[in-house]
Amino acid sequence: MARLIRSSATAWALGYVLLGLAALAAFAVPLWWAWKVTILAGREELLRDDAQRLTEVFVHEGIGGLAAHINTRVGMQIAGERTLLLTDAAYRPLAGNLAAWPHDISARPGVNAVLAQLPGQKTQTLFIETEFAGGYHLLVGRDLARFRQLEQRFTWGLVTAVTFLFVVGALGAFLVRRALLTRVQGIGETVAAIMQGDLRHRLPVGGSEEFAMLSRTLNGMLDHIEHLISGISNVSNSIAHDLRTPLAELRSRLEELALTRPAPGEAFAEIEAAVADIDRVMRMFNALLRLAEIDSGARRSGFVRVDAAAVAAEVVEYYEPAAEQKGVVFSFAAAGDAAVAGDPVLLAQAVSNLIDNSLKSVPARGAISVKVGRRADGAVEIAVADDGPGIPDADKPRVTERFYRGDASRGTPGVGLGLSIVDAVARLHGGVLQLLDNHPGLRAQMVLPVAPA
Amino acid sequence: MARFVTRGLREAGHTVEHADNGRDGLFSAASESYDVIVMDRMLPGNIDGLGIIEALRKAGNRTPILILSALSDVDERIKGLKSGGDDYLTKPFAFGELLARVDALGRRARDPGADRVLQVGDLRMDLLSRRVTRGSRPVTLQPREFKLLEYLMRHADQVVTRTMLLEAVWDYNFDPQTNVVDVHISKLRQKIELDSERPLVRTVRNAGYMMSADG
Repeated sequence: MARLIRSSATAWALGYVLLGLAALAAFAVPLWWAWKVTILAGREELLRDDAQRLTEVFVHEGIGGLAAHINTRVGMQIAGERTLLLTDAAYRPLAGNLAAWPHDISARPGVNAVLAQLPGQKTQTLFIETEFAGGYHLLVGRDLARFRQLEQRFTWGLVTAVTFLFVVGALGAFLVRRALLTRVQGIGETVAAIMQGDLRHRLPVGGSEEFAMLSRTLNGMLDHIEHLISGISNVSNSIAHDLRTPLAELRSRLEELALTRPAPGEAFAEIEAAVADIDRVMRMFNALLRLAEIDSGARRSGFVRVDAAAVAAEVVEYYEPAAEQKGVVFSFAAAGDAAVAGDPVLLAQAVSNLIDNSLKSVPARGAISVKVGRRADGAVEIAVADDGPGIPDADKPRVTERFYRGDASRGTPGVGLGLSIVDAVARLHGGVLQLLDNHPGLRAQMVLPVAPA
Repeated sequence: MARFVTRGLREAGHTVEHADNGRDGLFSAASESYDVIVMDRMLPGNIDGLGIIEALRKAGNRTPILILSALSDVDERIKGLKSGGDDYLTKPFAFGELLARVDALGRRARDPGADRVLQVGDLRMDLLSRRVTRGSRPVTLQPREFKLLEYLMRHADQVVTRTMLLEAVWDYNFDPQTNVVDVHISKLRQKIELDSERPLVRTVRNAGYMMSADG
């Protein structure tokens, strides 16, 4: 029972039934009241007319004529409905169908009608008393049997309506609850299937708009989770794969050392090469740890107001001699206020990674330009453009994935995490990394929100 | 790790004492006088070495401390330096890196760099007027080159690693992938070592650079 009440469908149905009852009461109570008042007023008028006519009989024909008239009328009518009684001044009955004056009726002559229950009668009777000259009293009454019938019909109608409300409410609750449970169970089954490891399941999108909306939202979440999980497994595959190469080299180097036992000079050269292999592995781990640190968002707490142009200028200055050595035309331009809320070290690293990539890819006597400025929409843009081979469109969405290396970059030094770090830094700062075609070459730009003033 | 560090430092000619727990280490550091303390952040019994450094500093001990840590986050590094450490090295590290940093810290302890003039051989650097001369020949340097040369001269006769230069001269504690530092050094050498002059900066294999009067 408690479960039924906790069920949202039952609660809703109960709510609607109560609302229905309230509406019914709001309709019936004033109606009942107005109706009763109108009927009583009508009856009272009839009684007054009747009393008036009998008064006229008394005026024209005297007390004897009235008594005869009354007796004739009483003799003609069906018993019960009308009450007539004529008495003398001492309330002794002269004519009529009532055996004695009902003294408990406190009606005063001609003033107003009074409702009373006469002994031996089922319904109430409305009375009017009239006093004639000579102290004669006339009592005219009419019972409310007809009204009682209407009253009963009205009550029955109300009871039927209330019962109908309850039945329909209960039935509705049952049906809605069943429909809800079916949908919820459907979602539950899909989720259970997913929990067992099959991430490809999706919720059926159909039926009512509300559920379709919920299903679409949940499906979107599942898409994201599937993407993340496949990303993770891709990354662990890549780590395993990329680690195997230097480790295999290292192993064969050491094995060869143990087998051939070369002269010390050669042996030390081999050992140094082995240390370099290990350094390569360590660089990879350092980059991964740095990525994890950025992705955790913990660095956001240390955000300060940073002039992106100044950061980029410093990095450019750092790379200038290297570019010069390679014969690359290296230019830097900054315009406008490029203040962002950020981490200067991470921004420097991101710009450094972009320049590093460009330096590796441009041919001798190529050109690299670094520009920092404000976009039309107010965002700060740090762009590194080169005239190297660029990135094929098909590769663009993938190069920011961890360890992904385009065909062009295979064989160049690096671990395939440079752009992943730039992308993560851009996202940490609430911005994006865009990779565009520079015709020819690559234009990599970080678009970052401007620092609040 | 401790055995590797101890043996390496002894081979480099240093006198080394080793304590394998925080209490003994704190006791030795407080009761004796050392040139440099190398402290692992992770001590037996899950004690954070930073607490010991703070205790030493509160007691007025000013011995330079090099912190070794497996925690590489920038925040951890800042925390380490704030607690009173003088340098922070992340594990794993090359021994050459550790040795160079220990030497640099030891040197700092001996002369607390209030110099106005640095001199290596016939190369003179005036820190106030920011003028550099080789013999009688003036040398014109960019601000960054000046900073680089100043660092090398302050650490004359010591090995300085590329990472140390990156941290001290550029304030970068990440690893820019290409070794651009080498290019900066060679540019600097072109300015301070003309063909007829004696070389002052020497490349130390697998470690970094060393500046000395006899090249």
